[in-house]
Amino acid sequence: MEWMAFLLFAAVIGLLLAGFPVAFTLGGTALVFAGVGVITGSFNEALLSGLPNRIFGIMTNETLVAVPLFVFMGVTLERARIAEDLLETLGALFASVRGGLGVSVTVVGMLLAASTGIVGATVVTMGLLSLPTMLKRGYSPEIATGTICASGTLGQIIPPSIILVMLGDVMTTAYQQAQLSMGIFSPKTVSVGDLFAGALIPGLLLVALYILYIVVTAIVKPAWVPPHEDDGSSVTLARVFSALVPPLALIFAVLGSILAGIATPTEAAGVGGMGALLLALLRRQLSVERLREIMRSTLSISSMVFLILIGASLFSLVFRGYGGDDAVHEVLESLPGGVAGAVILVMLVMFLLGFVLDFIEITFVVVPIVAPILLAMGLDPVWLGIMIAINLQTSFLTPPFGFALFYLRGVAPASVSTGAIYRGVMPFVGIQVLALILLAMFPALVTWLPSVLYGS
Amino acid sequence: MNDAATHTGLIDRINDRIGRAAAWMTLAMVIVTFVVVVMRYVFDAGLIWLQESVTWMHAAVFMLGAAHTLQHDEHVRVDVFYRSMSERRRAVVDLFGVLAFLWPMCAFLAWTAWDFVAVSWSIGEASREAGGLPYPWIPMLKTVLVLMPLTVALQGLSIVLRSLRQLAVAR
Repeated sequence: MEWMAFLLFAAVIGLLLAGFPVAFTLGGTALVFAGVGVITGSFNEALLSGLPNRIFGIMTNETLVAVPLFVFMGVTLERARIAEDLLETLGALFASVRGGLGVSVTVVGMLLAASTGIVGATVVTMGLLSLPTMLKRGYSPEIATGTICASGTLGQIIPPSIILVMLGDVMTTAYQQAQLSMGIFSPKTVSVGDLFAGALIPGLLLVALYILYIVVTAIVKPAWVPPHEDDGSSVTLARVFSALVPPLALIFAVLGSILAGIATPTEAAGVGGMGALLLALLRRQLSVERLREIMRSTLSISSMVFLILIGASLFSLVFRGYGGDDAVHEVLESLPGGVAGAVILVMLVMFLLGFVLDFIEITFVVVPIVAPILLAMGLDPVWLGIMIAINLQTSFLTPPFGFALFYLRGVAPASVSTGAIYRGVMPFVGIQVLALILLAMFPALVTWLPSVLYGS
Repeated sequence: MNDAATHTGLIDRINDRIGRAAAWMTLAMVIVTFVVVVMRYVFDAGLIWLQESVTWMHAAVFMLGAAHTLQHDEHVRVDVFYRSMSERRRAVVDLFGVLAFLWPMCAFLAWTAWDFVAVSWSIGEASREAGGLPYPWIPMLKTVLVLMPLTVALQGLSIVLRSLRQLAVAR
């Protein structure tokens, strides 16, 4: 009955396109398939009886407690207008340098775009924040939109990000399963901290490549990234200090304490949330009304994420019940080219799914199916996780279907043509592909830092 | 206002209240986590029940907030096509979605969770960790496994009524 599993997968993708909320489409479609199977005797209904226990397992998953805490921190920083302030200050500081504003946008995107885990929301925020300024200062629409899309999506995979927390949790389970299937009964573990550490060098590599591209543009096509004359003098050292140092200190403290192994991601996120509140308070940006809004936003985002996880676990129960896992296993094992062939196929499929599904859905629906198989072939779990993350980010950037482009189109003025957005983002897609090739050739770019920090 | 409109309004108000009340727990989670960290690293004291209370609140937040999130249309959609649909089309999608996906899923979740929750109450379940949360905190938390589908299904009713009204008006 494997074909039922594949039919279920195809049906879910098709039905999701109708636009009903993902969590319920996933769970509802899976239930219909299970129901048909129970009636025709091809599905064992006892498989579903463990569902409450599974959901309770999701509710009490210690790793994922970090998600709402990181969201709280991110939303607080956002509402306290820290990103705006940072961008304004950096932009003014480097205003007289050609390409300076573009570099500022990249840096701010890297630092502060990680709050929600929803690609659309981040790109919209970055677009509203920086596109008008860039256009007003004479940046070409191509370079402006390309920079915003790339840096807005990059923030998703630079730690501390909730995507990496979720991916880390899924990878932990997948790695255990893979090792058990290989007959290893004292399995090694992989943690969210490992993923944070593994993402750091590739993330910074991407930032460096983006900045290099902007600098090269400034030399080759100076008219695309003009300097801004009348500004720059108004920026005092004190203003730079107050805009830059507190949020940077907060992010470094949170990330540093996780990487140094002093605190768990959950603890660091909690302290980070407290720090963000303090920062907002000091900037006189925190009222009771705003606090309510921060709390409500945290609740909604958290609920959205975890309901998808519940829908996805119902989906994977049914998918597994129809033998879908084994079928995927067979396909991946039988590919020519062994491990490399399997990785390339999985990456290609995820890239295509990225046109329809966001990070969260792919992490919870697709990764649990394929990761145990790939890891059992001997791949490093941190490397695989980071490759998946960068691959998906690339997918979100690729014309004509990339998520990021749709959302930026939505907030861009009519004077910016869709063609300009497509042309602008292409060099960044090129950079992404280059980074993926580099990571495939030199896996140590990912695995070196975790091995030094955690000695695994 | 006709009957349907009053019902929608009532459901929306209830779920909005529940969501806004539950949202306070996100602030409590941050503060309690901070306290746990300070206790551990400064005073070298580990308080297991306090740490478990963060997980407890986390679970309660996203389960009790699910209906509120639905009410504010913040459960993410694949909106490649939905975004450009007419109001009428959207109403059809929402109506169909509740009938085909949301209600069956809620019914199934509530039905399977019922025994699970009842057993927990009847044995007076407490945390397995020494020094963890005592009875009745664990059964209380398990009860949200029934409350979540109930409130979400109720919000589904509100969506159904609103979609039907939309379809009746926008010919």
